Amino acid sequence: MFLAIKEMKHEKLRYGLIVALILLVSYLLIILTGLSTGLANLNKAAINEWGAKTIILDKDSQGRLAQSYLSAQTLQTTKGSKISQYNSLVTSTGDLKENAQIIALSKQSFIYRNLKATTGKKFTSKNTALVADKFKKDGFKIGSKIKIANSNVELRIVGFTPRATLSVAPVIYTSFETIKPLNNGVVNAVVTSEKHQFQDAPSNGLVLSINQFINKLPGYSAQKLTFNFMIGFLYIIIFIVISIFLYILTTQKLPNFGVLKAQGVPTTYLVMNTLAQSFIMSVIGVFLAIVFGLLTSWFLPSEVPIVISTMNIVLTSVGIIIMSLLGSLIPIRQIAQVDPYKIIGG
Amino acid sequence: MSNLRFSSVTKIFGHDTSKYVALDQVNFEAENGQLVVVIGPSGSGKTTFLTIAGGLQSPTSGNVTISGNNMTSLAKKEQTKLRLNKIGFVLQSYNLVPFLTVKEQFELVTKVKKNNLSDQSLYQLLDDLDIRSLVNKYPNELSGGQKQRVAIARALFTDPEYILADEPTAALDTERSMAVMSLLKDLAHKHDKMIIVVTHDMRLKELADKVYQIIDGKMSVYEG
Repeated sequence: MFLAIKEMKHEKLRYGLIVALILLVSYLLIILTGLSTGLANLNKAAINEWGAKTIILDKDSQGRLAQSYLSAQTLQTTKGSKISQYNSLVTSTGDLKENAQIIALSKQSFIYRNLKATTGKKFTSKNTALVADKFKKDGFKIGSKIKIANSNVELRIVGFTPRATLSVAPVIYTSFETIKPLNNGVVNAVVTSEKHQFQDAPSNGLVLSINQFINKLPGYSAQKLTFNFMIGFLYIIIFIVISIFLYILTTQKLPNFGVLKAQGVPTTYLVMNTLAQSFIMSVIGVFLAIVFGLLTSWFLPSEVPIVISTMNIVLTSVGIIIMSLLGSLIPIRQIAQVDPYKIIGG
Repeated sequence: MSNLRFSSVTKIFGHDTSKYVALDQVNFEAENGQLVVVIGPSGSGKTTFLTIAGGLQSPTSGNVTISGNNMTSLAKKEQTKLRLNKIGFVLQSYNLVPFLTVKEQFELVTKVKKNNLSDQSLYQLLDDLDIRSLVNKYPNELSGGQKQRVAIARALFTDPEYILADEPTAALDTERSMAVMSLLKDLAHKHDKMIIVVTHDMRLKELADKVYQIIDGKMSVYEG
């Protein structure tokens, strides 16, 4: 550490520039990871709140809730909480508009029990609704009337619930009776809180685990894959940046390393010095990136779905530090191979 | 008593038409308590001789022994350990780490050796070489002569048994050259060190206990 720290203190500009590069790439990584998590949450947050393990859909639905219409026969042979889904634009008297996912539930279902009302209460009667917090942020209030577009159905908000988004739209929870004029009483799926035995699937049913169902949400997998690709590429960039810069710096220092080796400084000491530099630079870069990332998420408008969670920070930090250490392996090879005799000359 | 012995040491670089004999059947012997000077012109094989003596490279043929132990049979790690603990190198150039102050150059040695060498012995050494006032300076703030004296001080700092010096007075004026050689001679005599200096500077032979001459890789005792 002695050599590593002394050199970095002396060569502030050089090492500062590398830290700045790590900072910028890490910042981008943290923001992208935050956006990836945020968008994923927008797609699936409501499902996570249900506390469900398995979902049974129509076998021809391709795993899509909106495309699933369970037959009476299937419903008779399937145990669990029935849900109906309807996607529509909703408006309020105050001209507030929102695209929403309307989910109908029975008050006896485990999903209903698992839902939490942060303000107000859960729906109890026809034409009342427990709606996503987002409605509150957008100006809706308890008692606000919301009208379902292209219908005569009008709901009264009785409560707000957190983390209620499905396929990027806020969710409105209401009763089957309320939704019946909209979807003719179709039940789209049955959800269970226990792991369903797949061999017990009804003849026309498609049994999916909740994770499988989430992966089949429209656009979810493609979006996740795109983000993962970008994130993976940024890790590779960090690896290359560290490799190139440390390689250049090490090449410039080879005469010094040669002399130090001639004087009996073990190769392991010099290798540890380079690893320490890589570690220190990545820790400083990552720390600053986290601070800037958190500040950015703080100042970004609420419409930007960014979630910088502790888990994301820890995983990203560890990932960047590992890539930085891997990036220093090429320069380390140079150090190991430097022949003091060739540096001193003959 | 420790000694360094070269027996019929030959070092050949390259092959066939590009073959170059840097050392040719060299026989050499030095003991503790001696200041030995090897004199030769540029390209005569002086540095090759010194690097083989310091275990930085192996001879093509012949034997190098330190206190009876065959140096060429030592593993690389053991050679490194030997250089760290028993040999002090003073080289022509690149001797100092550019981003360390003079004092830190010595701290590095103590860190690597994991020894707490006393400040008192360091400052005594710095006084002897008249460089105490330079402790907080970086190498790029020193003159050539000052750098060389710091490099000598660093080689002496660990109290090695052998000191191998490659043109240690190259950047010094006559007065300072003689002062450095006197210091090396004192070390050899009073502290029973073996000091080998390779140089093209004929003036240095005056203070040597033994002088060798090397020309075109062939070494012989100088009988000027």
